[in-house]
Amino acid sequence: MTMRFNRRSMMRGMLGGAGVAVGIPMLDCFLDNHGKAFADGAKLPTRFGTYFWGLGLTPIATGGSRWVPTKVGADYEITPELESLRKLRDKVSVFSGFRVHLDGKPNLQHWTGQAAVLSGLAPDKIGTFNAPTFDTAMVDQIGGGTRFKSLELTPFGNPKLSYSTRNGQSFNTPEATPIALYTRIFGEGFRDPNDPNWAPDPSIMLRQSVLSSVTEQRKALMADAGAADRVKLDQYFTSVRQMENQLAVESQRPGRAESCVVPTAPGELKRSGQIDVVNANNKLMANLMAMALACNQTKIFNVVHTSATSEAYLPGDTAIYHLHTHDEPVDPRLGYQQISSKLAELAFRGYGDFLTALDGIKEGDGTLLDNCLVMGFSDTGYAKIHSTDNIPMFLGGGAGGRHKGGQHVVGNGDPVSRVALTAQQLAGMKVGEFGVGGMKTAKTITEVVKV
Amino acid sequence: MKLRLLTALLCAGAVAAGTLGVVVAASGASPTSGMVATRRLTETQYRHTIADVFGGDIVVNGRFEPERREELLLAVGAGELSISGAGFDQYYAMAKTISDQVFDEKHRARVTSCKPADPAKVDEKCVETFLRTYGLKLFRRPLTDAEIKSRVTMAVKSGTASKSHYTGMRLALTSLLISPEYLFRIETAANDGKGGKRLDGYSRASRLSYLLWDTAPDDELLRAAAAGELYTRVGLEKQAARLVASPKAEAGTRAFFTDMLQLDYFETVTKDVTVFPKFSAALMDSAKEQTLKTLIDQLVTKKGDYRDIFTSRETFINRQLASAYQAPFVSATDWTRYSIPQDQESAGIVTQVTFLSLFSHPGRSSPTKRGVALNEVFLCTPTPAPPANVDFSIVNNTNDPSLKTVRDRLLAHANDETCAACHNQSDPLGLSLEHFDSLGQHRETENGAKIDVAAELDGRRFSGATGLGRLLHDNPRAPKCLVRNVYAYGAGRAPDANDAKYLAEQTAAFAQDGYRLQSLLTRVAVSDEFYRVPPPKPVAPLKVASAQPLRQTGGQP
Repeated sequence: MTMRFNRRSMMRGMLGGAGVAVGIPMLDCFLDNHGKAFADGAKLPTRFGTYFWGLGLTPIATGGSRWVPTKVGADYEITPELESLRKLRDKVSVFSGFRVHLDGKPNLQHWTGQAAVLSGLAPDKIGTFNAPTFDTAMVDQIGGGTRFKSLELTPFGNPKLSYSTRNGQSFNTPEATPIALYTRIFGEGFRDPNDPNWAPDPSIMLRQSVLSSVTEQRKALMADAGAADRVKLDQYFTSVRQMENQLAVESQRPGRAESCVVPTAPGELKRSGQIDVVNANNKLMANLMAMALACNQTKIFNVVHTSATSEAYLPGDTAIYHLHTHDEPVDPRLGYQQISSKLAELAFRGYGDFLTALDGIKEGDGTLLDNCLVMGFSDTGYAKIHSTDNIPMFLGGGAGGRHKGGQHVVGNGDPVSRVALTAQQLAGMKVGEFGVGGMKTAKTITEVVKV
Repeated sequence: MKLRLLTALLCAGAVAAGTLGVVVAASGASPTSGMVATRRLTETQYRHTIADVFGGDIVVNGRFEPERREELLLAVGAGELSISGAGFDQYYAMAKTISDQVFDEKHRARVTSCKPADPAKVDEKCVETFLRTYGLKLFRRPLTDAEIKSRVTMAVKSGTASKSHYTGMRLALTSLLISPEYLFRIETAANDGKGGKRLDGYSRASRLSYLLWDTAPDDELLRAAAAGELYTRVGLEKQAARLVASPKAEAGTRAFFTDMLQLDYFETVTKDVTVFPKFSAALMDSAKEQTLKTLIDQLVTKKGDYRDIFTSRETFINRQLASAYQAPFVSATDWTRYSIPQDQESAGIVTQVTFLSLFSHPGRSSPTKRGVALNEVFLCTPTPAPPANVDFSIVNNTNDPSLKTVRDRLLAHANDETCAACHNQSDPLGLSLEHFDSLGQHRETENGAKIDVAAELDGRRFSGATGLGRLLHDNPRAPKCLVRNVYAYGAGRAPDANDAKYLAEQTAAFAQDGYRLQSLLTRVAVSDEFYRVPPPKPVAPLKVASAQPLRQTGGQP
């Protein structure tokens, strides 16, 4: 059993209320044998992303669903709200019937769902999570060797839309427009990994020395802080450390990235909650993110398509999506909310479009998507009543050959943490358990693991 | 399996720390430490500080980490925030561009009088002098020798390697600007000589200047802190009077109301332009400026009665706003004074485009959002989130012939016990504003039907915006709420049960002298309570106000 348990992760566990996942990585025996390789033998990395959209998908009141396929296992049928997965079906697994175990906590509307999926337990209050989100643990374990530890983005234009956090309090700031994302990745500081004249940037050493002058004071400062201030300062110094690691990577000549083609700057679309504008921005940002991955700028990313109380709207409609989910009557003939279902299909299209962008880039003998795993999920199973049962969840991409895509798995009330645990393992994390209390699980969803 | 047990123990501790941490953080330090609180600088505090220390022409270009509202205020939320990896990248980039500007040929003489004999060599003395002088301004306290030394060593080494004195100076400044001691307001306590603890002089100087100026203490305030003058009533009074009388006080008051009125939501507000062709970023900027201009005019320039902000018809407009108000605009300047005509409905600050558009949906007005916001922003009465599994089907049954309008459906809440308790407090307030659409434009009808704006709250009947304005003006909770907000904003924490008596006294004094804002600010700033170091044990909050963030609640009709 190999497990890293250093001071930093311990601190985080102690102070951040972390549900630290531990245990024997039981899938190791077969998980590590599927990595694909470049022609020159260098192993292609597996990348991981989370993709959130607000307000779930639509159940049918009289039974059935607008999204859950009737067929379980392989060859699930494409339901109306899953239309955007039609061409990708065999690379995407669908998870229905998984739910949040509240463990006596309140169901905080439009907050508990995403908190539980990402951090492994229901939170105490809106605005914060009780534990770090698992993407940050992935950053530490498998995210190394790239310029950015992770990248966060939202096509909705709201710079507060991020659910990625190391301490449950401060959330990683997302890039909120295509141009901002482009500048972050390909603006100042970007070095083309395939540039034959590559040489380290001399300013890197200067930055390193500035950072060290700050970290020298760390000990004195931390010793003076009470518990809560120490959590904040520890997060600050973790961020400094992250930049130090980033600089160390940048000072090394990067390996060739054969699929890397440096894109040109995108135009700016008007910020708007109009769903077609959001989706257009999503496509632009998906293409940029795909190149960021292909150019080895990061291995981990987090996308928030729309907030859990989505303010997206149909062109010319005076009511927003969130309002419709509560106000729109269930059509007695159809058994569901018609407008809400239309918006659900459009919002979920963001996920399909994102995967399509990744699938459009050739890498090795397959596509970039084959070396990625993107967990799509939402906050509710039925937005009308804020239900956290049957939260729609998806795993898209081949995960370097580890993911057996194209499956529909029914959870029968199992915790959503099972999907999150499986996602981590497929992405290459050495982790055996995830979640806290009723959400704690060590049960991998083996139906989607390639053996 | 030992590890597993250890982890379980650690996690148990972690949960305890995680759940209690916030309360402890807000209310005190560990018994052994001098640090009592850390608060991340807000964007405006950062900008004002740089402008004051290095000059208004130093451009601060970058993206700040989002702030979070806790207990009604961003100033309280700032006490819970740290800096993420992505955020630190941005702070670093800002620090670098500020340092580049401060030491370019045009500006360097402002901050250093050194003329290095050999510009390829770092002058150690110069670096040290700079760090002592500007470190004090940026950290808001003198630097320790260790803090100076590590930076001098770094600057000399790196500057020498780059063969440039000014590179060394730049790096020294960058190092200050990315330090936690600059990016966070770190408050420390010292023994009071009577066995207790009190906020130390420099922490007091920061509280004063960030409350009244929204910026770092100036040289005079730092001097007073060093001389121990801020421990005495006389010393505090002298400084508070000086700060309140300064032109910088306007920026302080603007920052306070930007926070209290939740004007940060302007960053993310969008309207459906197919429904509201007049919506634009320029209109939203104008609306925000109108609100702040009006408040400064009434409360600072004219030293008016705070309660009159709900009834006053005096405001300012520019060309964009004139169009939204359907008012004539004849002015040679960008902004001109404007009186809302007596025959038009008005609730002062509440019927400005700002409030009406921030608390609406993109395409339609929202009586509930507005009512909830009025209760929260002006009366400090947050509304709890509705139960998660609430059944909306009764109020949303559009087939029920008796529930045709938003008003009818909303009022139906009153017949449902679960909903009534909250909706009876929010909806009447919001419904009285229904003569204003999602962009704040006046209307008498909606979809051809005449809009009824009669309402009743706590047994008092009123009608429309003008009636609402009077109701708010006469509501004793409004000045009480302002007092609470001033204190919480300055102290960076929500008042707890121990503060109740103090706040009641402050509220009485506020009434006594005619509800003058500046007198209130001064009284709070010189009071011992404002510098109290709360005991380390968590105290029950006076009123927990963690209602659902308003902008998240798009489900409100």
